[in-house]
Amino acid sequence: MKKLLAALLLLCLALTALAPLALAEDVTITFAFWDTNQEPGMKAIAEAYMAGHPGVKVETQVTPWDQYWTKLEAAAQGGALPDVFWMHSNQFFKYANAGMLLDVTDLNYDYTPYPPGVTKLYNYGGAQLAIPKDYDTIALAYNKEIFDKAGIPYPDDTWDWAKLREVAAQLTDKENGVYGFAAQQDTQSGYYSVVYQNEGFIFENGVPGFDQAATQEAIQWWTDLTLKDGVSPDAASFADMGRDDQFQAGKVAMVFVGSWMMSSYTSNEQINDKFDLAVLPQGKVRASIYNGLGYSGAYNTPHPDVVKDFLAFCGSEEANILQAQNKAAIPAYAGTEHYFVENFPNINIGAYPEMIAYGVQFPFGPNKSLWEPIETEEIAAVYSGEKTVAQACNDLNAQILEIEAE
Amino acid sequence: MTASPVQRDLRISKARNKNEWLWAYLLIAPTIIGLGALNVYPFFDSLYTSLLKSQGLGPTKFIGLQNYAKMFGSAEIWRTTLNTLWYVVLTVPVGVFLALVLAALLNTKIRGRDLYRGIYFLPMVVAPAAIAMVWRWIFNAENGILNQALLMLGIVGPKWLSDPNTALAACAAVGVWSSVGYDLVLILAGLQSISSTYYEASEIDGANWAQQFFRITVPLISPTLFFVILMRMMNSIKQFDTIFMLVKPENPAFKSTATLMVIFFREAFEKFNKGYASAVVVWSMVIIGAITAVQFVAEKKLVYYE
Repeated sequence: MKKLLAALLLLCLALTALAPLALAEDVTITFAFWDTNQEPGMKAIAEAYMAGHPGVKVETQVTPWDQYWTKLEAAAQGGALPDVFWMHSNQFFKYANAGMLLDVTDLNYDYTPYPPGVTKLYNYGGAQLAIPKDYDTIALAYNKEIFDKAGIPYPDDTWDWAKLREVAAQLTDKENGVYGFAAQQDTQSGYYSVVYQNEGFIFENGVPGFDQAATQEAIQWWTDLTLKDGVSPDAASFADMGRDDQFQAGKVAMVFVGSWMMSSYTSNEQINDKFDLAVLPQGKVRASIYNGLGYSGAYNTPHPDVVKDFLAFCGSEEANILQAQNKAAIPAYAGTEHYFVENFPNINIGAYPEMIAYGVQFPFGPNKSLWEPIETEEIAAVYSGEKTVAQACNDLNAQILEIEAE
Repeated sequence: MTASPVQRDLRISKARNKNEWLWAYLLIAPTIIGLGALNVYPFFDSLYTSLLKSQGLGPTKFIGLQNYAKMFGSAEIWRTTLNTLWYVVLTVPVGVFLALVLAALLNTKIRGRDLYRGIYFLPMVVAPAAIAMVWRWIFNAENGILNQALLMLGIVGPKWLSDPNTALAACAAVGVWSSVGYDLVLILAGLQSISSTYYEASEIDGANWAQQFFRITVPLISPTLFFVILMRMMNSIKQFDTIFMLVKPENPAFKSTATLMVIFFREAFEKFNKGYASAVVVWSMVIIGAITAVQFVAEKKLVYYE
């Protein structure tokens, strides 16, 4: 009996000793991102890569946006970053500055097919730290049913601020709980586009623009839609039910919406045959905020060569077509947009790529992740009536300057 | 020279003693190591971090008590401290009272008793995030089941979670709902350990139900109640997940519901100010310590041990 037991134990030991050897041939790399809507696209890319590279396993991990950055920061500090992960302009500087991202400059990649703003965004002191993934812009979505009922022509590219406000007022029917527009407190798909349409700015070359008259004027116009004109649900209503849900439920007639939401909008049966898109109405000038994501690698990945090879594949035309076909996002690779557009035959999805011509890069800066929560609090104070736009913007500007000076 | 039998016995018992101590240490070692690694070390680390300027992934810098100076100089810390204490006031008395009443009811012989016990305990096994999501729908001002029900009675309900006057109370209701089952189980266990002879004897002496409850049940349950109140207070001060999920920063009611733990999370994991966040945590610990100290003084007067 004892002998048998000893033999078994020995066998177990031998097996555990052998296990790493058996695995050594296969390389597993982890690939983390935040958008569940894009999971099919990312999985398709991972599978295509694995098909061409037997012996490499790509494991995808989705974490919702709110927890993604918390988790990534903890992983960065613990030295346990995923091998490959999505990068965003808000957070890029923090990771670049801490040396957490794999330098892919030596891939000698051809960046000409990508929007130059996106490539530049992920270049840190001459080192390329991410491969461009996609870009997104903001468009105006409208509920055709509500427009038809009121007998008002649909929005088009002749619209300006005054027209938006006028029609929003006409469509607002408070008794039935329908509002013309959703002026929810939001940056990227909220007042940022409006600020640039008014020739103001948010943050450029290390300088915040919240003290500029043009910026404040635009934010005033945006918040007035709710507070003075009453053509948008108020902050309390949005706290209960977000802008997209209200639009999809037919409670607001128009909304600014990012291209990344399209796969969710078109798969919602409540709305998918009732809405269409137009370019954003213009202010003094035309503008739509665009932003590009990137694929980054971890500086300390045990398999830098495999990771670089996979990153190169993610940026390739083939992978861009895959993510476009899976409705993930507008691919960064020029000439592949139509694969994305073709997914949505019933709506004017072309408005999104059209606006890249006058697109403004989503403002970014090395300390943006530190001051963005403050921006949320200050602008919320405008909505709650605690501060005027000028007070909130000036206070915010001073706090950003203070953070940037440190 | 040979040792006397007595001496020999002493030596053996000493050796046995040593052996027993060794075993005792060995057996508590996992707990002690766990406590050290997960509680004691992080505690001192938080104390130290609160003296640092630690932002993002960059290097840290020792800045002494500057985080505390900044914290106590801000209106936010006093507002959130008040919110936290209000939350305790709104949850602990109601929660413990409800738990006591329900436990007393469930200690009697009623039909379906086990089923009720299960139902009341159910919220404990549901993830707080899921609880918060469901309650968000219940509290929804327009479509929520609560306001719809009120509407049937002809009452237009408030915007529970976005009106600064009701939001904290709404969060407290969720807090009570999700904790009452746990407290109930503890109190029930206490009730069941009371020997029935007391009640039989008092019945012979002619005591009525109220006399039995206040003269026998309450004093004998007081050690359990003390423990439940103590834990509930600590947990209420540390309450984070449901409030965080129910009221977001863009919500107009955010300022009137943000508790110490909510701003701690915002500082540490959204603004990445770990130094300042640690100062907030140390401050909450001081508050918990002070309240607990008062409770231990009260314990000597109010709690009866058999």
